[in-house]
Amino acid sequence: MANLRLDIREEALKPRKSGVTPIVPGDPEKSAIIQRIFATNPAKIMPPAYAHKELTAAQKETIRRWVAQGAVYEQHWSYQPIKRPVVPSISAPQAPVRNPIDAFIQERLARENLRPSPEADRRTLLRRVTFDLTGLPPTPEEMQAFLADQSADAYEKVVDRLLASPRYAEMRTMHWLDAVRYADSAGFHGDNLWPAWPYRDYVLRAFRDNKPFDEFTREQLAGDLLPHPTTEQLVASAYNRLNRVSAEGGLQPKEYIAKYGADRVRTLSTVWLGSTMGCAECHDHKFDPFTLKDFYSMKAFFADIKETGLVPDRGPKKWGAQLLLASDEQKAKLKELDEQIKAARKELDDAAAAMTERRWAWEDRILAQYKSGELAWKYQRPLSASSANGAKLTIYNDEPVDSNYYLNGSLASERKRGGGLIVASGPNPDNETYTVTFQPGAGTWTALGIDVHQDESLPGVRLSRGADRFVLTEVDAEVSTPSGARKIPFALATGTMFGYTPENPAMAAIDGNPKTGWSITIIEHYNPFLALRFAEKVQTGPDSVITVRLHHDSDLRRAVIGRFRLALSSGEYSYPEEGNSGNKHKIALETHSDELTLNIPTDKGLPPAVLKALETDEPERSDLQRELVLRHFEWADPKLQPFTVRLAKLEAERDQFEASLPHVIYTERTKPRTVRILPRANWMDDTHEIVEPAIPAFLGKLNTNGRRANRLDLANWIVSPENPLTARVFVNRLWRQFFGTGLSKSLEDLGSQGEWPTHPELLDWLASEFMQPSSGGAHAWDVKHIIRTIVTSHTYRQASASTPQLDERDPDNRLLARQSRFRVDAEVVHDTALFISGLLVERLGGPSVRPYEPDGYLAGLNFPKREYSASHGEDLYRRALYTVWQRTFLHPTLLTFDAPTREECTVNRVNSDTPLQALTLMNDPIFVEASRAFAANILKSGSDWNARLNWAFLKALSRTPDKEERRILTGLYRRDLARFRSGESDATRFLAVGEWRPPSDLDTNELAAMTTVARAILNLHETITRN
Amino acid sequence: MDTYDRGCEICRRTFLGQGVSMLGSLALSSLLSRAAFAAETQPDMSSKGVVNPLHHPPKAKRVIFLYQAGGPSHLETFDNKPKLRQLNGEPMPDSFTKGQQIAQLQGSKLVCFGPQYNFKRFGKSGQEISELFPHIGGVADDICIIRSMWTEQINHDPAHTLMNTGSIITGRPSMGSWILYGLGSEADNLPGFVVLLSSGKGGQMQPIAARQWSSGFLPSKFQGVKFNSVGDPVLHIQTPPGLSAAAQRDSIDAINALNRLQSKAAPDPEILTRISQYEMAFRMQTSVPELMDMSKEPPHILEMYGARPGDGSFASNCLLARKLAERGVRFIQLYHRDWDHHSGVKANIAIKAQETDRATAALITDLKQRGMLKDTLVVWGGEFGRTPMSQGGDGRDHHIKGFSFLLAGGGVKGGITYGATDELGYAAVENPVAVPDFHATMLHLLGIDHKRLTVKYLGQDARLTGVAGEVVKDILA
Repeated sequence: MANLRLDIREEALKPRKSGVTPIVPGDPEKSAIIQRIFATNPAKIMPPAYAHKELTAAQKETIRRWVAQGAVYEQHWSYQPIKRPVVPSISAPQAPVRNPIDAFIQERLARENLRPSPEADRRTLLRRVTFDLTGLPPTPEEMQAFLADQSADAYEKVVDRLLASPRYAEMRTMHWLDAVRYADSAGFHGDNLWPAWPYRDYVLRAFRDNKPFDEFTREQLAGDLLPHPTTEQLVASAYNRLNRVSAEGGLQPKEYIAKYGADRVRTLSTVWLGSTMGCAECHDHKFDPFTLKDFYSMKAFFADIKETGLVPDRGPKKWGAQLLLASDEQKAKLKELDEQIKAARKELDDAAAAMTERRWAWEDRILAQYKSGELAWKYQRPLSASSANGAKLTIYNDEPVDSNYYLNGSLASERKRGGGLIVASGPNPDNETYTVTFQPGAGTWTALGIDVHQDESLPGVRLSRGADRFVLTEVDAEVSTPSGARKIPFALATGTMFGYTPENPAMAAIDGNPKTGWSITIIEHYNPFLALRFAEKVQTGPDSVITVRLHHDSDLRRAVIGRFRLALSSGEYSYPEEGNSGNKHKIALETHSDELTLNIPTDKGLPPAVLKALETDEPERSDLQRELVLRHFEWADPKLQPFTVRLAKLEAERDQFEASLPHVIYTERTKPRTVRILPRANWMDDTHEIVEPAIPAFLGKLNTNGRRANRLDLANWIVSPENPLTARVFVNRLWRQFFGTGLSKSLEDLGSQGEWPTHPELLDWLASEFMQPSSGGAHAWDVKHIIRTIVTSHTYRQASASTPQLDERDPDNRLLARQSRFRVDAEVVHDTALFISGLLVERLGGPSVRPYEPDGYLAGLNFPKREYSASHGEDLYRRALYTVWQRTFLHPTLLTFDAPTREECTVNRVNSDTPLQALTLMNDPIFVEASRAFAANILKSGSDWNARLNWAFLKALSRTPDKEERRILTGLYRRDLARFRSGESDATRFLAVGEWRPPSDLDTNELAAMTTVARAILNLHETITRN
Repeated sequence: MDTYDRGCEICRRTFLGQGVSMLGSLALSSLLSRAAFAAETQPDMSSKGVVNPLHHPPKAKRVIFLYQAGGPSHLETFDNKPKLRQLNGEPMPDSFTKGQQIAQLQGSKLVCFGPQYNFKRFGKSGQEISELFPHIGGVADDICIIRSMWTEQINHDPAHTLMNTGSIITGRPSMGSWILYGLGSEADNLPGFVVLLSSGKGGQMQPIAARQWSSGFLPSKFQGVKFNSVGDPVLHIQTPPGLSAAAQRDSIDAINALNRLQSKAAPDPEILTRISQYEMAFRMQTSVPELMDMSKEPPHILEMYGARPGDGSFASNCLLARKLAERGVRFIQLYHRDWDHHSGVKANIAIKAQETDRATAALITDLKQRGMLKDTLVVWGGEFGRTPMSQGGDGRDHHIKGFSFLLAGGGVKGGITYGATDELGYAAVENPVAVPDFHATMLHLLGIDHKRLTVKYLGQDARLTGVAGEVVKDILA
């Protein structure tokens, strides 16, 4: 039976070599399949017993009848052209027929002898439609207005109001982002964060402005190929870059290019075609007419995307093609800074060029200083070390200290005398200032050095006590002698360049701005160093004490150094020391050139490459060596210092400014790669046919007059009338959002293995209406029009109550004799609690935010090792749509409520109910905080207990409590108030969860007790259920 | 492919391909299996999952997977290659490596790198094990060494995904989720699938994504729940600060009472589920801290594992795994990291051995003395092995063509070595075991026919073993 294909009629009718014919139309008895299906001999029967796919007698009979009737094959429903079906007329309506949706639904119900439900009560209806369209419940005021509006179109007016709300755009965007697997991180391996959020904002604007879906499609797939693309269209093209990518060293680029391409085909095929083309990556699709060649031809459309197999997650080539989203003003400012840098550079070079003889003398002097050891940093043994906010600082001078750090890729341990090391432990506040004093003895000093130490115990890139970096926001120092104290001003800050972070240049540590600072983000392990040059030499006597303060005041929580030493230099400008790891270090001066990469750590205050150049006679020096010497001279010579400082300031300003501007990954075009068919997806197999871009053969052919088809051709075909799938797929997905299940429940697969739609004509009617609306005012591919049509139907407006009889007849409510009930989506669970509590901060778009997350949640990650750092203030209370979407460790509040990780395209979220959800709603700080804010508002809402409870219920549930509910919550309040008063529960601690502070005029115990009441209300099934 | 050859085409192409309903086939098949097994006297064939009754009598009731992440070298652990030792420093014969997939060694000269440790024979069975693992040697007669594992993915992340989900395409359920879905949970106050992470020294700590224990397209109640060794063992398991336990109980009672009122007013099975989940959540608030509390373990048990309470080490996690197993958790997965030895194999493997040898053996011994080894399958292994060629003179690169796994208990023969790699430890040549074969075998031991534990997804009857998987019958007791 091998190679037998019964899905193709000609094949099925052909006699086999064995003489039997699988199907003889009109003659079941002669048809082999009928003989086999009805066989009693276990060796003959089909399907065979081991397949466990037994047929029922009725099924067997159906097949026999089908063969008897001529074995007519029809193309699968979803591949047939969409024809607008005739809307059935309902002769004796059992419920209002408000639009064709109701006609289709009620016609079927009548055939099934079922009756539609009456319209839901107004409270339920407003809650339902507000949840569905905006992802939030209605306010009591909205409810009151709706209940009071007696006009015939009161509901329609509400729908229009909701559709016009930016919240509508947020709700639609959420679902679209699942489909296109938008996330804020790269997904594979180190899963680092990348700039994608401007694409999310594009989607928000598209839904807000009701961009026609065909245009929306075109811009995403081929925004870069449109004539004179706008910035908006280029941002849209980020769609092609949203697949997961890897920066794992040692990956085979070809393998990953194959993975990325296959991912794109799977996603496109699910999102727009509702097809499982992914199956055809290895072989012809077993059930649908997609061939292996179709898969690779589709992949060829994306072969022109400029990308590499290993997509760097750091350095200048980070994330490949990025679009800078700057205003004209910002671009002009950047240009101006570039010009100023150029001019400053020239001034410095010119000044240095005029000092050749001085440089010769300097060369001798610096070499001598190096050799005598004078240039080396002199590590200081602190007298004291204290913190402002509670961290415990321990000084290790002669005391031994354990260190665990990476050396050559492996964890190394050592125990040796500290030599001035300061180690932070204990309390770990968000911001911290360290004050260290030491007594250097008599001398003349030119610079202060800060030597930051890596250690495995530190969660933030092994350097910091949190976050994904440390940020040293400001350093100040003073010297005290018996005659008094004097501030020590700094002139220049120079940091080690390995892991250079443009937003955190060294100069930011002495710029007087408490929010900006010096940092390093690295993934390998080594000790960064900051050299701070004194504006003037500092003299100390034998008793002088130097006090140094290290400020960590950035908004990044816990970006606080964990281990460090301080040093002084007395030489003529000692260069920062490069750390102690054997890994490759980048030692760069003003240039960030890769050529300056060296393999030896710097020590004794002079970069080895410079040392080597200095030791070479000038005529023998290479060009690079000449430049190195010149650069180092410029950096070190006191006469040149004003120029150097000016240049360093400008460069820091430029880097910080550019880093502050939004960027987005997007599609840049390149000469298309060769795409071959890879049977069994074997990317190493170069022996098969090369394919050109083409749509699946059975769906037609693109007419490009011989030109190679591109993504724009693909997009145009997707939204053309020739493509029978896209409109069906999209409206089916929309249906699910308003009824809990699609008309075909397999949203991802309308192919032959997908579920046949319950109401095929309705699906086709909606699809036609989507492409070509029949009513005036709507445009082609009008998303809001379809949604308005759905939510204004009676079918949507029905009550959801069921009966035992109906449950038995239609347990999954597929016939829609009633509405459905389901838990709202993860984001909506979160947003609803914040909205009810009054904490929600609404703002459309912007960079992704970080709500609270449990410590250690990212411990599974590495490259770099990092710790989560929650946002501050308003960013804690944004809609969950804006939460940083970390693919490998999605925020647990969202994950627990079934939000997809978006590693792969998801169009059909599961909806589960687990104990972890209960734990989250009860104990997760954001919900505890929301309960407190809600409670504070309840207390403020009135002075009378009943009025307060009424207000709370109206706010959360759009209704007032009944007597029994009142009794239960009153009891809870009284008992908890007693617990707080007696000290059994601790109100102060309970109320301290989260950043938001309640008004101070509230009684602590009453607020705490009301918080438990508010928490109970936020935990109700009804609160998170869309009915 | 086998379904093709055996003629299943007819059923699939005609009846599914043309949209004729197959409703009822599931019910029928379960009726049939029930009838088929009714005649025999069996142990308990019922389950709390979708595979009910079980497809065949089970040997194992639960699995403890000691996942050694990063790719342990088989050549320093369980696969002795004297020939490789002889050829140390010689060029790797071309015949082995030509046209093969190589990770970081791409383009470099391939040189044989002999085993860094000697092997010894252990137990009555005389199993050959590296001298670095004397404790595992001590339970040699209880373990089955598979020396012929192979995989398809050469980078950590995809290789983990393949090992855990049987597919390199993200979104498939992990093996623990499949098993929990199939068999349900025996624990009523703990999740049925628990994940524990540890890392030690001696190697690069590779990332592990949460997708490795994801339930994929199955409902999230089947996903692995990661227990943390620091902070809350389960996220948000602690009552909010300042609230007494009685107050928490009181709140849950109030929530459930209010939900019950709703349920009376508008009956909905979902409300009842939610009520029961709040009860379960409260039980977990007690049971999880109790579980994590090692103070009641006698000193000799702590000593046997080498566990220090609260240290989050692999040893502590092994002890915790036993406690989870005792409480009915179905699938317990321990990840121990830092096996990625691109350099310094010799020193690093010794560290890893120190971290895992004693605890692994202790777990097996402890389960045995409690009578639980017979129905607990213990697995020890990683996502791939390492090259017989050296990397940088003292390390080994990723390697997919051959590596070793240890199995113990749960109906697996003890004291045997199964399969072999070639004389240089490059490729599995005798009785190769692919990842789906391992999965099929594990499911088989649990009473599940891997071809029949399927879920409709993207138009396929998706299963853990994809379109492959053969039960490795020779290792079944």
